Amino acid sequence: MDYRVQLAKRMLSNKKGSLIGAVLAVSIGILVIHVNFVIFQGLYDAIVRDLSSYRFGDVLVTDEESFITKSDIFLVNWFERIPYVEAATPRVQSSAAINVTKNGKLIEEFRVPVIGVDPFRDPRVSTAHETVTDGQYVFSRNSVVVGSRVVSDLGNIKVGDSLQIKITDRRGEDQIRRFIVTGIVTSPGGQGLDSEIIMHIDSLRDMLDRDGETGEILVKLNDPDKASDVKNYFLRTFPNDEFKAETIEESAEAALSGFRSGIAMINMIGYFGMMSSAFAVVTIQMMLVSSKTREVGVMRAIGAKRKDILIIFIVQGMMIGALGAGLGTAMGLGYTFYAKETKMTFAGSIPLEVSYDWEKVIQTALMAFSLAVIASIYPSYKATKLQPVEAMRYV
Amino acid sequence: MSDIVLELKNVNRVFGQGDTKVQALDNVTFSVKRGEFLLIVGSSGSGKSTLLNMIGLLDKPSSGQVFIDGTNTTKLSDNKISAFRNSKLGFIFQFSNLLADLTVLENVMLPRNIQRTDQNAQKQAIELLRSVGLENQMHKRANKVSGGQAQRAAIARGLINHPAIVLADEPTGNLDSVTAETVIQLMKSMAKKLNQTFVIVTHDRHQFGEVDRIITIKDGRAFEGEDVPPKMELTV
Ligand SMILES: Nc1ncnc2c1ncn2[C@@H]1O[C@H](COP(=O)(O)OP(=O)(O)O)[C@@H](O)[C@H]1O
Ligand SMILES: [Mg+2]
Repeated sequence: MDYRVQLAKRMLSNKKGSLIGAVLAVSIGILVIHVNFVIFQGLYDAIVRDLSSYRFGDVLVTDEESFITKSDIFLVNWFERIPYVEAATPRVQSSAAINVTKNGKLIEEFRVPVIGVDPFRDPRVSTAHETVTDGQYVFSRNSVVVGSRVVSDLGNIKVGDSLQIKITDRRGEDQIRRFIVTGIVTSPGGQGLDSEIIMHIDSLRDMLDRDGETGEILVKLNDPDKASDVKNYFLRTFPNDEFKAETIEESAEAALSGFRSGIAMINMIGYFGMMSSAFAVVTIQMMLVSSKTREVGVMRAIGAKRKDILIIFIVQGMMIGALGAGLGTAMGLGYTFYAKETKMTFAGSIPLEVSYDWEKVIQTALMAFSLAVIASIYPSYKATKLQPVEAMRYV
Repeated sequence: MSDIVLELKNVNRVFGQGDTKVQALDNVTFSVKRGEFLLIVGSSGSGKSTLLNMIGLLDKPSSGQVFIDGTNTTKLSDNKISAFRNSKLGFIFQFSNLLADLTVLENVMLPRNIQRTDQNAQKQAIELLRSVGLENQMHKRANKVSGGQAQRAAIARGLINHPAIVLADEPTGNLDSVTAETVIQLMKSMAKKLNQTFVIVTHDRHQFGEVDRIITIKDGRAFEGEDVPPKMELTV
């Protein structure tokens, strides 16, 4: 082993306190970035995940102006022939008015969004059916499932109650029908259809007087990375139908653009944390150098060049950086693993979508390592400026 | 190879300026032959260390020249001087000669490792450690051996690159008289055995007994022999 590397190693291992301090400073800088990533990127991805699974699918097809008039069965079958597509389902959306009565007296009229779903196809695309906490999902034309927030707004309706729903049809005429409440949905974090009423798609088409028409087609892919390909293939295949198709990134854009700048901000804070770790390394390295004044003097006297002294302390910085980066990455991955295994939630509600971003992991580790080395440059340079006579005057 | 290993020509060293100006060395001129065991004596503050730092190329003269093994060292670059110190000079200081982070053996090998021509470094270091009586201490960490042992290791380190001159500044200043005696005898016997030039600074001339030559420093001026000329005494 080169004597400079050997000396760097010995000097560090004989100064455990400084070594531990410097390594912890570097590793905590990394840990903060990992924790931020798990929480905020995890929250972002959780929101994308929920928007995709409850509302938009991986690709969402609508008509540019109004309802889709092409047969939903035709479109669903068309999509499901693509190998990347797992399933597709039609939906219709509208809004309804519900009268809240007490002792036969009208108290209030609520407006509630209504979603019409295909009871057989929808569960293959959306996880909305998994959020049923009471009763069961929509199964017949005269049943509805009510979101938990609607339930409390309406004064605690229960499964088995009947609900009178008023919808204005395409000609502006009110259609009123009674439905049996068969289920109640509550999603983790309230990201699901908790504020909606869900009914059979054909019932809603009926009330709207839009037989065979569809509001949107949700497409679920088995490979979400192919969303753009599927979208473009679809638009190319039907150029004259005025379809609009969006990937989840596009349909969720409005909900997420603010969030993204928030994440950028949080990342900035993480990098500032790393910078302060670097300053801690500067301080500790300065201490190490000044505690070795005499040693440097002896080394210089017996022939070590300035460059050799520089190398010894830079190598120390590299060792601190490597140990810190290793430890910090291990702690960060440990935290990520913990978050994933325990299905960590944000503020006790939304389950975070925890993932390992290896590129970012490596980038963060390399950055911490480089910062530790850069932080060692000035102290190392100071060490090379020690004159052997001066250095040995201190006894 | 010339018989002269060291030559100082009109070396002056001035510290500070104006009121605080100190003439630490005043026109020092002398030369040293190969194999000489030379003692530089003088009272505290007379300029002995300053002189030794000149010879050791640890400091530069304000004027004058220092020739080592025939090379005028005055104009050498910092890197050249480092290499020169490494190959032509050996150093023994009063305190903490050794690097505490290394073992005794590693300390002795260090000048060779710095040179980066470490063929046989370990073998020669072990041989030297044996000849200074440290064969049983060589794997100890340097800060775990006694003061006398550290000085003996420093002697071994000073010899490993076969330097032109071994320089020692108060090498026994930190030792009790018995230990000091053994260290002095060791230096003398190594000098004889290897025909090695030693230049040793001390304020305690009597510890050293019989030596080849003595130079006395007084107020920065160098005088051959143990006594300062009476004329000089009068002017002080
Ligand atoms: N770096 C320095 N700056 C200023 N004065 C110095 C310096 N080094 C030595 N001196 C002065 O030079 C004189 C000789 O010092 P030194 O060579 O250390 O004496 P000695 O080793 O004989 O005791 C003293 O007066 C000392 O104060
Ligand atoms: Mg002195």
